[in-house]
Amino acid sequence: MDLYKLAFNNIRRRKMRSALTMLGIIIGAATLMVLLGVTAGTTTAIKDETNSYMYDLAISPASTTGTLLMDTETVSKIRNMPQLYDFREVTLLSEEINGTRLFFEGTNNWKDVRIINGTEGVVINQAVADKFGYGIGSKIKVKDQELTVTGISKEVTALYVHINQAQAKEIAGNRVGAIYVQTNGDPKTVADEVEKQVTGVSAVTKSDKVEEVQEMTNQALLFMGIIASMALLVGIISVINTMLISVMERTRELGVLKAIGFTNWEIKGSILFESGFLGFLGGVIGVTLGIIGIIVIANALNLEEYMAGMMPVWLILGVVGGATILSILAGLYPSMKASKLEVVEALRNE
Amino acid sequence: MNNHVLEFKDVWKTYPMGDVHVNALAGLNLTLEEGSFTAVMGPSGSGKSTFLHVAGILDTPSRGLFRINGRQTSELSLKEQALLRRNEIGFVFQRFNLLSQLSALENVMLPMIHKDSEKAMGVLDKMGLDGKYHKRPTQLSGGEQQRVAISRALINDPSLILADEPTGELDTGNAQSIMHILQDLNRDDGVSIVVVTHNPSSASFADEIIKMRDGVVIK
Repeated sequence: MDLYKLAFNNIRRRKMRSALTMLGIIIGAATLMVLLGVTAGTTTAIKDETNSYMYDLAISPASTTGTLLMDTETVSKIRNMPQLYDFREVTLLSEEINGTRLFFEGTNNWKDVRIINGTEGVVINQAVADKFGYGIGSKIKVKDQELTVTGISKEVTALYVHINQAQAKEIAGNRVGAIYVQTNGDPKTVADEVEKQVTGVSAVTKSDKVEEVQEMTNQALLFMGIIASMALLVGIISVINTMLISVMERTRELGVLKAIGFTNWEIKGSILFESGFLGFLGGVIGVTLGIIGIIVIANALNLEEYMAGMMPVWLILGVVGGATILSILAGLYPSMKASKLEVVEALRNE
Repeated sequence: MNNHVLEFKDVWKTYPMGDVHVNALAGLNLTLEEGSFTAVMGPSGSGKSTFLHVAGILDTPSRGLFRINGRQTSELSLKEQALLRRNEIGFVFQRFNLLSQLSALENVMLPMIHKDSEKAMGVLDKMGLDGKYHKRPTQLSGGEQQRVAISRALINDPSLILADEPTGELDTGNAQSIMHILQDLNRDDGVSIVVVTHNPSSASFADEIIKMRDGVVIK
C-alpha cells in the first residue's frame, strides 16, 4: 500500500463527492469535445465542398445591384471573354408556398445530390417532404411551371428542391445566379478584368473563397473553444474546492503520515495524484459523452461521412490531457497546504 | 564512539500564547543511552509531550542543541528529517493513529519503502495478530489496534521507539500486555524505548523513570 493507492482509496471512499467534483470536469470536457469536434468536422465539410468545385473564379451579381440573378446580356458578355473557359452555371430560385420559402437549385452534377428514393429530375429533400407532405409524384408549382417530384434526397437542413440547371435557368427567365469558370492566366488578374469589363458583377477567386471560409471557421473554433474552456474552468475550480476540503478533513491522517516519515514531496505527490486522477477520469468520461453527442449531432446534420473528422485524436488527447493537467494544477495549492501542516498540530486535530 | 541515542543540551521550546510566551521546555538537559528503556512522567503541562515531539523531530527546539544517534537535527533538511523519522524512529501514539481505510497489514506496510508483506505479516504474528492481517482498525479491539501501531513502528527496524501514553486508552490487562511487548523489544532486540505516561504501573516496566516539571527534568 503506497501513498498513490491511498489517494485512489480516498476517491473511492468518497464516491458521491468525487462524482460531483468530476461532474464539473465531465460537463466541461464533453462541451469542449462536442463544440470543437462539430466545428472541426463542419470546417472539413465546408473545405471539401469548396475544394470539390473545379473552378478558378466564381462570378455572381455584385451586392450593389440588389439582384441575385444575372441577365442574358451579362451572361453573354462573360461567356465571350477569351480569358474564360469551362463555364458552369448555377441558378437558385425561391418560391413562397403556403407562407414558407422553398429554394430551387439548378443542378449540373446529380452525383452531388444524395438521392435516397426515386430518380433524378425534380428531387426534394427530406425536409421538404416532411414539411409539405410531398412524395414522388407530387406536383409543385414554381413561377408558371408545374414540377412533378421524381426523387427524395437525404439533406434535411434547409428546404431545397434540386432540378436540372437548364430547367432552373428557363424558369428564372434565362437568368443565372452564378457562373463558375476556369481561367487562362492568373485568376486574380482575370477576376479584375471581369469586374472591369462586365458591370454589376463580382468575381471571386477560389483561393479568396477558401481563405474566407478558413477565417470564418477559425473564428468559430476560437469562439467555441473559449466558451467550452469556461465550462472546463468551472470544473477545475470545483477540484480546488474538493481537494482543500479533503486536506482539511484528512489533517490528522496527513499528520500521521508525516510522523511516520513521509516527506513533504510524497505528501504533495499524493494530493496531486488524487486531483490529477479526478481530472483524468472526468476527462475520459467527458470525452466519451462528447463522442456520443457528436454521433447524435452528425446524424442529425447528415454529416456522418465527416464524423471521424469531428473526433480527431488531437482533440481527444488534448481534452483528456488538458483536464488532467489543469486538475493537477488545481491540486497545487491544496497540496502545498498539506505539506506545510505542522505535524504536532495535525496530530491534535480531531 | 557515541552511544547516546538522544542528547538534549539546554533545549528550550517556547510557544507564543497571546501576549505571553510559554516555555514548554526550559533549558532541558538529558542524555539517553542506546538500548535504554526510559519512562517520562510528570503532570500535564510539564513539557513531557513537547520533549517527545522534539525527540521524534516532529517539532524543532527554539534554541539549544539536540542530537539523535549523534546527528544534530537542526543541520538536517526537511527531507532528511523525514527519512530519519521513517528509518530510525518508531512512533506509538495514545490514540493508535491507524488509517481507518487500510487493513492492519496495509497500515503496517505503509512506512516501508520496499513493500515486503511477508516481513509485515511476521511482525504482526510476533504481536499475536496472525489471522487479523486484513481486518480494518474498526474491526479490532483497542489492545489489538495498539499492537498494530507497534508493528507499524517496528517495520523499518528502528533503533528508537517513542511512545506517547501508549496505554492511555487501554484497560489494565491490555495496558500490561502492551508494556510487556515494549519491554521484550528492549530486552531482546536492544531497541531504545522512551515512554511518556501518567500511569505509574506502565512506567514501572522501564529501567529508568524521569520526572519532568516546568520544562525541565527534576529527577
